[in-house]
Amino acid sequence: MSAPRTLFEKIWDEHVIVVSPQGEALLYVDFNLINEGQSFLAFDQLRMEGRRARRPEQHLAVTDHYLPTINRALGTAGMPNPEIRRVVEMLDENAAEFRLPHVGWFHPDQGIAHVIAPELGIAQPGMLITCNDSHTATNGACGALAVPIGGGNQLRHVVATQTVWLKQPKTMRISIDGRLPNAVTAKDVVLSVIREIGVGGATGYAVEYAGPAITAMSMEGRLTVCNMSIEAGARIGMIAPDETTYQFLAGSKNAPQDGDWDAALAYWQTLPTDADAVFDRELAFDAARFAPMVSWGTSPDDCSPVDGVVPDPAQIADAERRRHVERALDYMRLTPTTPLERIAIDRVFIGSCTNSRIEDLRAAAQVLKGRRAVVPGMVSPGSSAVKRQAESEGLDRIFIAAGLEWRDSGCSMCNGSNGELVAPGERCASTTNRNFEGRQGRGALTHIMSPAMVAAAALSGRLADVRRFD
Amino acid sequence: MLAFTVLTAIAAPLDIAKIDTGMILPGRYMRRHRRPGHDYGEAFLYDLRFDETGRPRRDFVLNDPAYHEAKILVAGGDFGCGSSREGAAFAVMDYGLRALLAPSFGEIFQVNCIQNGILAVTLAEPVIHDLWRQLRARPGSALTIDLPNQRLIAPDGMRHEFDIGPLRKDRLIRGIDDIDVTLEHLDGIEAFEAKRRARLPWLPAAKRDARA
Repeated sequence: MSAPRTLFEKIWDEHVIVVSPQGEALLYVDFNLINEGQSFLAFDQLRMEGRRARRPEQHLAVTDHYLPTINRALGTAGMPNPEIRRVVEMLDENAAEFRLPHVGWFHPDQGIAHVIAPELGIAQPGMLITCNDSHTATNGACGALAVPIGGGNQLRHVVATQTVWLKQPKTMRISIDGRLPNAVTAKDVVLSVIREIGVGGATGYAVEYAGPAITAMSMEGRLTVCNMSIEAGARIGMIAPDETTYQFLAGSKNAPQDGDWDAALAYWQTLPTDADAVFDRELAFDAARFAPMVSWGTSPDDCSPVDGVVPDPAQIADAERRRHVERALDYMRLTPTTPLERIAIDRVFIGSCTNSRIEDLRAAAQVLKGRRAVVPGMVSPGSSAVKRQAESEGLDRIFIAAGLEWRDSGCSMCNGSNGELVAPGERCASTTNRNFEGRQGRGALTHIMSPAMVAAAALSGRLADVRRFD
Repeated sequence: MLAFTVLTAIAAPLDIAKIDTGMILPGRYMRRHRRPGHDYGEAFLYDLRFDETGRPRRDFVLNDPAYHEAKILVAGGDFGCGSSREGAAFAVMDYGLRALLAPSFGEIFQVNCIQNGILAVTLAEPVIHDLWRQLRARPGSALTIDLPNQRLIAPDGMRHEFDIGPLRKDRLIRGIDDIDVTLEHLDGIEAFEAKRRARLPWLPAAKRDARA
């Protein structure tokens, strides 16, 4: 009988090929996702060295970061910025030259990498998945070990060898006990955790989310929670596979077929953390104490329940924290002790790998239905499949009737590298994951929150408590 | 990757602290292809080397003809801090530098340099200051860096020892990068892969199709 192990340890052990004398492990990569980001550096280097992709079928290039969400029908002419167009074209060229499967802009599966990998059944329990993106942990919600890698040398290494060198992280379990109150979503859970432990709270750890409130979540909710692991410093976040996972996978394109399904299921059922397994760190939260959250500052841990107020730096004892809050309020143009619900906004954005799945769109549409937004905004579904599904349910008509733009799928206004930006000084209620200075554009003032909360803000023209719209 | 053993070359003194990767490789170059004859050498410290009109800044050290053949840069503290952009290490390499000496480096940048065959080692601040003084006194002076013996020989003949991790040192001396090290385990990788595929035959495989 082997020692009890955690979900993370089981998958990690399963992928170790060799451990170096310096303690780094060489791990096998079951699947790698590639976005256009800086991946062209990896391909430039591979080309200069005359190397090829060792296992092309275990990669998927996904155009998402730089691809605008409008004017697709115009082709490259729809991308007026030549630099953006060039980055998009480079991934087309690199995928073709290195014979890599590619979901480019006209592919019916087109979407954000971390939305389509689970959707297509590429992210399965027990797999080791890499991607040149810091939000790769999203895929951990499917019970996979999903790790972000660098877009240059590390990506080059994965393409050339189908392996990655990593130092084994410590383990942390974050348990959410009890039941979530009405109108409290997965986004509110993860923001509450980040607020509590800070943006560096899980640095160096592989996090497993567990407990009744996590188990009760849909796959969409779990994907949102794992997605923001990096905002607490953790490169890896994961959730043990269970019935919810299996049902989600069963209908997907890459799910194990026929006889393989039973074998796969039997294997997946061995993966959850053993009862006596020990984590390096354990944290527990009471779901009943969570509330709808909004961020007020310039770091994801600068957030608060929506019925709170802007913090007063004068009341903060820690000098470093005080300096940060002062700078954040200056950037965000906010006055201490202002009730959060009095903060007026200029626009809204619903989308990103955090909150653009069908359930997210349904939640926003439910609030917006039959009502009219008082600020402009846009909705970008996480994938073309989500877009089709939403349109078949009539959600697009609800958004449009509310006055919002219904866009194509992409990273859009979350990272802005596609040219979709919040203007300087504009305040945006956003379902995205980061509110750092300039994240959505130079001088942009970002407040992050759940899709339903963004919808409530759109209707109010201010940050608003969605519980008033029930 | 180029091997690094013993290098005797002209060293340039760059006495500015906290030169971040965004100065080493300005963001606007990040969307640029890198290929032979069109590399990142031009981008290296562009805004320090050139003014707004693209004319070389006469007072910037690297524009002094005495340093045109420099392969060593003696830099200030926190060299390469900031963004993780790997292109910054490419810019250093493409500009023609083989070694960086500084009191401290941005951690990711330092690893990226060594990964690309550039020796980036830290020396105590007084040693760096002393090197600046000597290099300025005789522009175009050479330093010798002896990696196997972890020793630097200053223009005045003084010897200074430096630290480097055994793994990084070995890779630099042998001129092998992570891929080369990994490929030494290729048999192990193939055996691992075959066993895994036999045991988990359902793992997803993607196909190229025409609909991209």
